Amino acid sequence: MQGLYAVFTKELQDHFSSFRFAILFALIAMVSFITSYMAAIHLSENLENLSSTRFPFLTLFSTPGAVFSMVQFVAFFGPLIGLVLGFDAINRERAQGTLIKVVSQPIYRDAVINGKFLAGVATISIMLTSIVLVITGFGLAIVGVVPGVGEIGRLIIYLVISIFYVSFWLGLSILFSILLKSVATSALTSVALWIFLSFFVTLGAEAVANSVAPVDPNKNVPPEMVIQNAKIKKMVSLCSPMVLYNDATATIIDPMRNTTRSLVLMGPMEELLSSRFQNPLALTQSILVVLPYITVLIAITLVCFTVSYLVFMLQEIRT
Amino acid sequence: MMRIGKNACRSGKGIFMGAAVLMFLISTPGHAKKPEAHKALPPRAITVSPAFTGVVISQGEDVNIDLLVTNGGRKDENIDLSLSSVPQGWKARIKTYDFGVTGVYVKSDETKTLTLRVVPDKAVQPGDYPVDIRACTQDDRLTSTARVMVTVREKKEEKEPEGVEIITSYPVLKGPTDGQFEFSIEIENKSDQDSIFNLAAAGPENWEISFKPAYEDKYISSLRLKADQRQTVAVEVKPDHRAEPASYAIEVAVNSAKARAQAALTVILTGTYKLDAGTANGLLSLNAVRGEQANLSFYVQNNGSATLHNVRFLSFKPENWKVEFTPKSIDVLPPQQLEQIEVAIIPAEQALVGDYSVGLRAECGNPPKAEKTIELRVGVTASAAWGWIGIGIIVLVMASLVIMFIRLGRR
Repeated sequence: MQGLYAVFTKELQDHFSSFRFAILFALIAMVSFITSYMAAIHLSENLENLSSTRFPFLTLFSTPGAVFSMVQFVAFFGPLIGLVLGFDAINRERAQGTLIKVVSQPIYRDAVINGKFLAGVATISIMLTSIVLVITGFGLAIVGVVPGVGEIGRLIIYLVISIFYVSFWLGLSILFSILLKSVATSALTSVALWIFLSFFVTLGAEAVANSVAPVDPNKNVPPEMVIQNAKIKKMVSLCSPMVLYNDATATIIDPMRNTTRSLVLMGPMEELLSSRFQNPLALTQSILVVLPYITVLIAITLVCFTVSYLVFMLQEIRT
Repeated sequence: MMRIGKNACRSGKGIFMGAAVLMFLISTPGHAKKPEAHKALPPRAITVSPAFTGVVISQGEDVNIDLLVTNGGRKDENIDLSLSSVPQGWKARIKTYDFGVTGVYVKSDETKTLTLRVVPDKAVQPGDYPVDIRACTQDDRLTSTARVMVTVREKKEEKEPEGVEIITSYPVLKGPTDGQFEFSIEIENKSDQDSIFNLAAAGPENWEISFKPAYEDKYISSLRLKADQRQTVAVEVKPDHRAEPASYAIEVAVNSAKARAQAALTVILTGTYKLDAGTANGLLSLNAVRGEQANLSFYVQNNGSATLHNVRFLSFKPENWKVEFTPKSIDVLPPQQLEQIEVAIIPAEQALVGDYSVGLRAECGNPPKAEKTIELRVGVTASAAWGWIGIGIIVLVMASLVIMFIRLGRR
């Protein structure tokens, strides 16, 4: 335990004093603030367009201010934080020869990887929490709306999901830094994987769906076909953690959303009768709707870390 | 203004046309009209004759006969009229519309019509009674007589006073207690006099009975009818809403100073048809897990006064939902009776979480005589079972991590 704590504090010190962290944090914080600020000053217009907004505070996070909304921005660029914090965690120590020195101290080997991972998670948590808190402060100052209990609950859930999401990328980059000896290679590999999973999977999903269940907008396609197309697209794109995260947080932040699906086949009676009462979902119901997503996010994060732990523990490190 | 101008113009034209025809007639003498003037008339001739020489009346009835006085001569005449013989106990006089007549001036080749009125005494027995009329010129040169034979028949027992009659084409109406009944009656004035008839109706207590002219929307209580005129009157009946289902009689009477007529109308009340439905505590919302049954019990009450037969239950629900009622229908529901119905609502497996509207409807009769719909807010919730499975997966992953820590740690 002693060793773990030492590694943890040392890593935290390194993170918070490093230049790249400062630059990255400054970038992300700035963009988040600008986005939320834009959303806040346009909030009155947005509120007019929304038919029933009972949760004006959450719209600060979900309405696009400039290009992205706050939620979307974290989905796109949150992974960068994780990658930057972890891509050289092990292999730089190894390249500089400090790993052997550390292990020769009364510090167990698992303390090294645990400490590094936990320090990364702590950094991410502090970062995201502070961003969310600052935006909340913004909202209080600019909009003058006090969030209700339900809204605070949703924000906390959102924060937890976000921390796990970024931690997944941290775990992934740590895994690469264990597997690959060169710092540059591991950095490039993690960035490439990030780009692939975040941007190309959705494009690929569309291609797969259109080839299996073609939907021609010019022709009259039966609704079953459209639904099948949407289903396949969804299935393939769920391989991307970004899509998982996007769907989960969009449902958590917007209480009026009652499904993660983009297309739903509804009979006329069902449509009529479900539009009769336009009530927001209870927080527990929103969580239950996206619980599979949250479960998968948490699970892949843990699996990622477990694999890196396993590889690191069984690796020969003295050479 | 335009129309008046046009008419004036047209009548002007007419005058012109008339003048033209007249001129044509004058210019061709010895045609058309002239031969009548040349008809060979005696210098003087008068006749008096009744329109009917024999009439039959009942005891107590009067006789009014037209009397024709004709001047068949070329000279205009003043003719004196008198009744030469009137049976005993009878009163007879010659009159015009308003006053008695003893003499009449008749132009050449013309006829005057007078009225001979003969009123028998109450005590007059059945039999034949001759009434003689005598007419003579003022200089007594010409006379003419006529006779009217009045036959009096025995009056029938309990005969309704002639003079007014009520005709009801459909005297019995049937309907619900909260309905409105409209009888159509025809009132005919059979006497030869104009008179005002009062309309009166007697029905059960607290019933509203009023008279309306046909196709008009005002209430009347009397009616003026000319001689031999008939008029349709609507009798509007609003029953007391507390009335029991039964048959009720309504007497309609028409009175004038001399005549009276009655008609019996019947209203058969079948009671009111009213259904009420609701839940015991008034709560109209429930939660249901998708794909799983949610139960609700509601009551159906017969608020009307008639017994309802075969009360059915229907539901308005989204597709693929199941709504089942136990019992499926109620065969007999007496008034004020309360029945409890169990409803099982099963949302579709694929239903989205959120609130749906589900309508439950109870109705009776086809087309529905009574119906009531209650709208429920059904909040569909996701099953927590998958949630536990998700948490289980996470716990499993954590456990494997812990096992790894124990197996591989401290190296």
